[in-house]
Amino acid sequence: MEDALNGLKLAVDSALESAKTDMEVEAIEIKYLGRKGELTAMLKNLTNVPAADRPVYGAMANGIKRQMETAISAKRRILSVVKMANLADTERVDVTEPGERPPEGHLHVTTQAINELTTIFEKIGFTRTRYPEVDWDWYAFEALNMPADHPARDEWETFFMDAPGSKKGRMVLTPHTSNGQIHELEKGDLPIRMINIAKCYRRQIDATHIPMFHQIEGLYVDRNVSITHLRGVLDYFAKAFFGPDRVTRLRPFHFRFTEPSFEIDISCGVCGGTGINTERQKCRVCKRGWVELGGAGMVHPNVFKACNVDPKKWSGLAFGWGVERTFMMKSGLQIDDIRTLYKNDLRFLKQF
Amino acid sequence: MNFFVSYNWLKEYVDLKDVTPEDFARRISLSGPGIEKLFPAAEYLDKIVVGHVLEIQKHPNADTLYIATVDIGGMRHFKRSVRADKGLKRKKIDRMTVEIVCGGSNLLKDQWVVIALVGAKIKWHGDGDLVTLESAEIRGVKSDGMICAASEIGLFDAFPHTNHEILDLGNALGWSMGTKNVRLNQCVGDQAARILMVKPGTPLADALGLSDDVIMDIEVTTNRVDAMGMVGIAREASAILKKTFTWKPVEFKKIVKEINGSGAPKIKISAKKECPRFLSAKIEGVEVKPSPWWMKRRLLSAGIRPINNIVDISNYVLLELSQPMHVYDAAKLNGGLDVRLARPKEKIMALDGNSYDLDDTILVIADRLRPVAIAGVMGGEETGVTVNTKSVLIEVANFDSITIRRGARKLNIQTDAQQRYEKGLSTAAPPFAMARAIELILELGGGKLTGSIADIGQTKYVSKTFSITTDETNALIGVPHSQKEMVGILRHLGFKIKIAGKKITATVPWWRDHDIEDGRDLVEEIARIEGYANIPAVVPVGLASRPQSPELMWEKRVCFISKGAGLEEIYTYSFVSKDLMAKADYDATSMLHVQNPLTAEFAVMRTSLLPSLLHVASENRERVDKIRLFEIANVYDPPVGKIHAARTDRHTRERAADTRWSDLPNEQLELGALFFGIKDPWRAAKGYVEHVMHELGIDSLSWRRLSSDTFWHPGRTVQVFFKGDLVATVGEVSPKIAENFKLDGPVGLVNVPFGMLVPHMTDARTYIPVPVFPEAKRDLSVVVDHRVEYDDIAREIRRADPLIVSVEWFDTYQGKNLPDGKKSVAVHITMSASDRTLESVEVDSLLEKAILGLKEKLKADLRV
Repeated sequence: MEDALNGLKLAVDSALESAKTDMEVEAIEIKYLGRKGELTAMLKNLTNVPAADRPVYGAMANGIKRQMETAISAKRRILSVVKMANLADTERVDVTEPGERPPEGHLHVTTQAINELTTIFEKIGFTRTRYPEVDWDWYAFEALNMPADHPARDEWETFFMDAPGSKKGRMVLTPHTSNGQIHELEKGDLPIRMINIAKCYRRQIDATHIPMFHQIEGLYVDRNVSITHLRGVLDYFAKAFFGPDRVTRLRPFHFRFTEPSFEIDISCGVCGGTGINTERQKCRVCKRGWVELGGAGMVHPNVFKACNVDPKKWSGLAFGWGVERTFMMKSGLQIDDIRTLYKNDLRFLKQF
Repeated sequence: MNFFVSYNWLKEYVDLKDVTPEDFARRISLSGPGIEKLFPAAEYLDKIVVGHVLEIQKHPNADTLYIATVDIGGMRHFKRSVRADKGLKRKKIDRMTVEIVCGGSNLLKDQWVVIALVGAKIKWHGDGDLVTLESAEIRGVKSDGMICAASEIGLFDAFPHTNHEILDLGNALGWSMGTKNVRLNQCVGDQAARILMVKPGTPLADALGLSDDVIMDIEVTTNRVDAMGMVGIAREASAILKKTFTWKPVEFKKIVKEINGSGAPKIKISAKKECPRFLSAKIEGVEVKPSPWWMKRRLLSAGIRPINNIVDISNYVLLELSQPMHVYDAAKLNGGLDVRLARPKEKIMALDGNSYDLDDTILVIADRLRPVAIAGVMGGEETGVTVNTKSVLIEVANFDSITIRRGARKLNIQTDAQQRYEKGLSTAAPPFAMARAIELILELGGGKLTGSIADIGQTKYVSKTFSITTDETNALIGVPHSQKEMVGILRHLGFKIKIAGKKITATVPWWRDHDIEDGRDLVEEIARIEGYANIPAVVPVGLASRPQSPELMWEKRVCFISKGAGLEEIYTYSFVSKDLMAKADYDATSMLHVQNPLTAEFAVMRTSLLPSLLHVASENRERVDKIRLFEIANVYDPPVGKIHAARTDRHTRERAADTRWSDLPNEQLELGALFFGIKDPWRAAKGYVEHVMHELGIDSLSWRRLSSDTFWHPGRTVQVFFKGDLVATVGEVSPKIAENFKLDGPVGLVNVPFGMLVPHMTDARTYIPVPVFPEAKRDLSVVVDHRVEYDDIAREIRRADPLIVSVEWFDTYQGKNLPDGKKSVAVHITMSASDRTLESVEVDSLLEKAILGLKEKLKADLRV
């Protein structure tokens, strides 16, 4: 019995010695320690041994079993170490082959710009709202302090609809997002902090104009709103959108629905606001260190009056600019012809 | 509107002694008109000097050429080494001659000429780009420079000439010939007039008074027509820089010493609304000739071509005072003038050489016979001033801005005069311009004023008055200013001020009577002159944002879902052509029409995105293999309540002239998608809708085949309903329409009335406990008639027993090994119970039940 047990142990040891894979080790384990294994069979045969000898042989057999188990798991560890050490060869793939990508679509640059603008203004409490694109003259012009003979209301500037008018005037395609100001003020739910990003329409088409484009409009109405707030909002936007080193300035300008009115300039990102480029020439991107961003101003009292808001109690600021142009300014995209944006050539769209 | 301003000219009206042009540009831009560019007036006159012709010889080898010996003064034009080479010492170099080969037909001994030295940039024969002059040998004779024609140095407009004529500088600038030095009175009437000594070698830029001048490109906003003139810019500068404003209006009495005859020119204003005021004066005995250089120089600096002294004066006054005027040849006028609207079929030959057809919306100045000027826009050619003119009639008038704008637009003419009139000029302005014009004509053209000045139409001028308080001003600006500061600024700008406590009452000066409309405008004046840069930036706080609209939130979400699903987002125009609609079998007649479209391409407001999607796919069909597109945008349906057309109904019997557009269109956000050039576009389209709906929280949809709409493929289209509402149409476009768009192959399309769906969209999900006991999965494949639909098979299987929890399609097969008209459908079936593990016997019996049902209801056979 003892010899037989030792014989088994030796057999296991030598089998393990020559084993090279986990599978071989597995086979050895099954052959000797499995349910129908040789050692298992011998343990079962213990019943044939005289009762007095059983404890001795029993202990011996269990001892051998433990030794075998230890040897097997030791071998497994060794094999595992060897396997891990050789992975670079055994499981090598050509890592320069392309991966399997999930489907890859693209958002239009205008959508990307709109999303970014919305997020930036949300952080200082401006909520995006939507207003009609086809609207009455009252909202597009009249209530914005633009009298009937204002050039913007001429037929060569603005699209009119072939539809009967109403007591709010003719039906127009909004040439700017400022109609949102009137709709919002007419709701009478003050104070207001809104932005309106929408399609606008003007009768112009060439390399720098498209008959449909997007504008962003901001309106803040509260007690004691002042120019300091306008500067604060614009400076915040410039830094959030263009980068922390950019600054804005206001210059006098003229719009009918704001007074004072401003042109917003932002320091040039190419020449760092110096107006001189790295070759010591005049910067080609900007005008003397500044790039025009858009328009702004303090809401004109006549606009308030048109919406039944008391200009003695409330004051407000408004600002706006073209979405496409702003995006191109930021990204430095040199698109020669702005019409490219809406030509929908997929080779163009897939670049963003 | 942009215009060019000479810095030296501006100095005539405001004291700018200590202000550099750079500084000026920076500070004025921040508080007034924007100064966009600065450039030196003599940018291209480097190495170009005045020379004196000493000797002329015939060129030995060419008949038409001469060799001129020219004194070009000192040696400072040459490097020291060259001087040494020529053996000249410093002391002896004040006279230096060069020999230049020249073919000028008007070259003379003792002439003062323009010499381009080696290294100068010139325009060869006045054409093409600038080239740098090099030393040359011309037919065997060395030539150290060039005697220039005016066109070669960019001065053709100032000194017109024929071919081969060189610029005779002495003659052109009125110097006497033969003298060694020239005393040059730089500028008549110029307070800063300087006497310049010109001698051989003087840089041309100095001799022309250009060397220290800077031209500014200034943008003036449309409301500030007063600042579209030199005096207006000077007035702004004086207030912003706090410098003395030195302009004084011309006093009529001082300039007119003698008047011939009596009576005023005969003027009648028939169109009183269109012409509030008209001044006219006659001067007889004028001499029409080229203007002196100082005037030419100033006009050129503003980009205006000199013509003759009289025409130049009218342009000069316009530039100075921003008040247009016109001068007629009095001898060519028939009778008095009438300001009236043109009569139908009247024509005028204008000064630009074009004939214009007029109508009764165009304001004209007419004599007894015909229109002689398009009022405020352009004069007529027949009555214009020419070299033969001896007596002139001056017109300085005020015209209605809208009439001028619309008239000029109709005739498609843009002029400096019209650009100012259309912005609105003060009726108080004409007398100032008239006095200045008379002063200049008498000075430069001679002659005598005949009779008195006619001044028609003017009623008493009433100034506007507005009030502000210091408190409201400070509240709006956000930083405090004292009342004294406020008043100081307004006074500097020409406002007359009365103070009562905190109230400031300001009388508006006439030159601002169009743009100052309200007390608020006074606040702007104070804020801008103080400087916006000094106002601190404060981010407003203390207001909670309102919740974002669900539509905007979901719109953004669906964009990202679609991008993630591999679709490209496109943006197409909201207005489309009727042709496009027709190609897609949409009837554009009933859509909202643009009344004044830019082109037929943008004619109607679309009621569907699908035609545009098809167009974009068509455009891209040869560029890209696989096309997957989506767009989310408004469509413009008839107003709610007017006509309730089903959204798939593209043909309505109503005509465009009906009343359906008596209210604003119902703008609805729509989602459209297109699949082309991929395997089974129909399945991709449906999968996209299933994915999107699932992501938007819209589950338990019901699907209904659509075969009655000719736009869609009759066998491959389905409508999707949620709680009874149509939420999507999915399928293939009819092959006929695909062919119209040259799309060769099946085109999958999706149309979702997104806006209507928004209320159903949700992030909320129902929790179903995950099964505790393992699920049993079996595959089943049945053969059925090919018209039996999958939906019915799945329903039948599920109906067999509640323990069958899901049925999932994985294959449909038709063809080889199957009888004709049969198809095989394969599904995964999942079975599970919440309280135990299903035994295999139980699973088998569940399957049997399902198969039994399929056999009975759908005549299905088990596929083996």
